[in-house]
Amino acid sequence: MKIKAIEKIKGMEKGARRTYFAELLINNSLYIFLLAAIVFIQCLNPRFLSLPSIINIISLSAANLPMALGVAGAIILAGTDLSGGRVVGLVACVAAALLQSSGYAAKMFPNLDTLPVFAVFLIVIALGALVGFVNGYCTATFHLHPFIVTLSTQLIVYGGLLLFLMIGNNNGQSISGLDNGYISFIKGSVFSLGGTPIPNYVWYVIALTAILWVVWNKTAFGKNMFAIGSNAEAATVSGVNVKWITVAVFVLAGALYGVTGFIEAARIGSNSAATGLNYELDAIAACVIGGVSFVGGTGKIGGVVLGVLLLRLIFVGLNFLGVDANMQYIIKGLIILIACAIDMRKYLVRK
Amino acid sequence: MKKRIVAVCLSLFLLSTLFVGCGKKESDVHVFYYTYSDTYISTVRTALDSKLKDAGISYQDYDAAGNQTTQTEQIRTAITKGAKTILVNIVNTGSDDAATEIVGLARDAGISLIFFNREVSDSVIKSYEKCAFVGTRAVEAGILQGEMIGEYLVEHFDRVDLNKDGKISYILFKGEEGNNEAIYRTKYSVEGANAKLTAAGKAALSFYDKSNTNGYLVDQNGQWSAAAANDYMTTALASHNAANGNMIELVICNNDSMAEGAISALNAAGYNKGDGNAIPVFGVDATEAAKALVKDGKMAGTVMQDADGMASALLLLSQNTLKADAGLMDGTEELSVDEDVNKIRIAYGKYLG
Repeated sequence: MKIKAIEKIKGMEKGARRTYFAELLINNSLYIFLLAAIVFIQCLNPRFLSLPSIINIISLSAANLPMALGVAGAIILAGTDLSGGRVVGLVACVAAALLQSSGYAAKMFPNLDTLPVFAVFLIVIALGALVGFVNGYCTATFHLHPFIVTLSTQLIVYGGLLLFLMIGNNNGQSISGLDNGYISFIKGSVFSLGGTPIPNYVWYVIALTAILWVVWNKTAFGKNMFAIGSNAEAATVSGVNVKWITVAVFVLAGALYGVTGFIEAARIGSNSAATGLNYELDAIAACVIGGVSFVGGTGKIGGVVLGVLLLRLIFVGLNFLGVDANMQYIIKGLIILIACAIDMRKYLVRK
Repeated sequence: MKKRIVAVCLSLFLLSTLFVGCGKKESDVHVFYYTYSDTYISTVRTALDSKLKDAGISYQDYDAAGNQTTQTEQIRTAITKGAKTILVNIVNTGSDDAATEIVGLARDAGISLIFFNREVSDSVIKSYEKCAFVGTRAVEAGILQGEMIGEYLVEHFDRVDLNKDGKISYILFKGEEGNNEAIYRTKYSVEGANAKLTAAGKAALSFYDKSNTNGYLVDQNGQWSAAAANDYMTTALASHNAANGNMIELVICNNDSMAEGAISALNAAGYNKGDGNAIPVFGVDATEAAKALVKDGKMAGTVMQDADGMASALLLLSQNTLKADAGLMDGTEELSVDEDVNKIRIAYGKYLG
C-alpha cells in the first residue's frame, strides 16, 4: 500500500506532485497543527507531556466528549443544537439531588433515601432524551430550523432548572454532598497508570464512543442520518423516514447530554444553575474543528474526538504557559476560525 | 381543517399566557436580581420574599440573567406599570453609568430606589434623596478571609508546608474580571494572610506557578463557577503534586462554589476526604454546602454573608418608603450606617465550623 503510494508519486509530473503534497498537507492540517502545538508547549514547559498531565487532558476531554458526539448528530442533519448546555445543567442538578448522601445537613429531599445509582442514571438519561424528543419532534413536524427550536427549549429548560433549585428546602443553593457510591462510580479509579489514577468515567466514555461509531457507520439509522444531512429530498424519495430519523437523532443527542450531566455532577461535586453554561458552544466548536460540516452530511466520530481533544489541549496548554486569561479568548477564537477555514478549503479543493 | 384547529389552539394558548398576571393589583415593591443562578443571591431572595409576604407587602421579582441592558429595561417597564419602590441588585459594578441611569429613571417617576448587595458609589446614592444602599463593605470579605488564612497558617505552618521549603505555595481562584468584590477579595485575602505571616516571622505566600504573573486564575465565563475551579485545579495538580515535590499547599477561592470545585479536584487526587490529609481550602459566602464541608474537615473556613440580615434591612427600608409620613432611613439607628451617605452595612463573619 505504502510502496504503491510512493510509486504513484514518482510517476507524477512535477506540478501534479506539488498539488498532491499540498492536498496531503491540507487534509491532515489538524494533525499537523496538533503535533506542532504539542511540540511547542512541551518545549516551553517540559511537564506538559508528563504522565499525570496526559491523563488530565484525556480526562477533561472525556468529560466533554459525549456532549460533542450528541451535537455532531444534529450538525450532520445540517442543523444544530443549542439546548445542550442547559440540559447538562438540569440533568446534573436532578442527578445530584437524587443522589445526595443520606444524613447530609443541607439535603434537598431530606426524606428521600439514596436511590440506586443505576436507577438515577436511567432517570436522567430519560430526562435528557425527553428534551431531545421535543427538539426533534418540533423540528421535523413544524419544519422549523433546529436553531430556533433549541433556542426556545434551552430557555424553557433553564427556567425549569431555576424552579427545580427552589424546590424542597434547597432555596436555590448549589447541590452538593453527593453519595460516595455515586462519586466513586464516576470519579473512582479501578485502574492506575504509573501511580496516576484514571477516573472510571474515561472508560465509560470510551465504550460509549465505540458504540456510537457502530451506530453511525454500521446501522441503517446512521446511514440514513448522513443521507438526510446531504440531501433531505433525495432521502425522502428513496424511502427514508425523514421525520422519525430526525427525532431519533435529537433523542440520541439529548440522551448523550444526559450522560454528560450525570458525569459532570459527580466530577465537579457542586451543581448550580450555572452548571453547563456555554458547554454547547464548546461542543459545537469541537465538532466543526473536527470536520463535522455545517453544510450537513459529513463528519466522523474520529474527527469529533480530535476536535474535543484539541480544545482541551489548548485550555491545558495555555495554562501551562501561564497565558493571560484575556489572551486565551483571542487565541481560542483564532484557532477555531483558522481550523475551520482550513477544513473548508479541503472541500473546496476537492470540488 | 386539522391544521387550522391546531393553529387556533396555539394562538389561544399564546393569548392565555398574556393573562397570567391579570386580575392582580399592581405590586408595590419590585425587586431586580442580577441573576437567579447566584447561590448566595438566591438565599437573599428566599429570605426577602418570605419577609415581604409576612409583612403583607405585594412584590414582584425579576431576573436580569447577568445582563445590564435586560435589567434597565425591566426597571423601565416596572416604573411605567406603577411600581412604588424598586430594589435593585445591579449587574454592572465596574462603572457608575448604569446606576446613574437607573437613578434618573427613579427620579423622573419620583419613586424610592434601594440598591443592594452589589455596591454603587457614594456619589450615585447622594445624587437622589430617595436613594439608599444595603450591602456589605466589599473589602471586608477579603480582609476577613486574609486574617483567617493568616491565623490558620501561623498555627499550622509546619503541617501545611508539605515540602518543608519554609514557604506556602498557593493557588487562587477569581470569580470574574472587572468585578469589585472579586478584585478586593483577590487582593486583600493574600495581603491579609501575608501580614499575619510576616508578623509571626514566616515567609510570605508564593503563587504556585511562577509563569503566571497575575497571581490568580479566573473563571473565563465570569460565573464564579465550581466547574472552572475544578478544571483549573485538576490541570494544576497534574504538574504540581507530592511526587514532584511542589504540591499546592493552600487554596484561596473568591466564593464557596469555586471552593467546592477545587475540593472535588483535590478529592480525586486523594486529598480532603475528611481523614485529616487535607490541603486548607478557604472560600467566601458560607453556603450550606460549604458549612457542611467545614464541619467534615474537608474545608478550612469560609466568610459568612448574612443573607437574613440583608433581607431584614431591605424590608425595613421598603416599609419606610410605603408609609406616607416616614423618612427613608427611619429605624436604622441600630444598624451600621456609613457617615454622610445612606449606606447600610451588613457585617461579615468568619465561619470555621
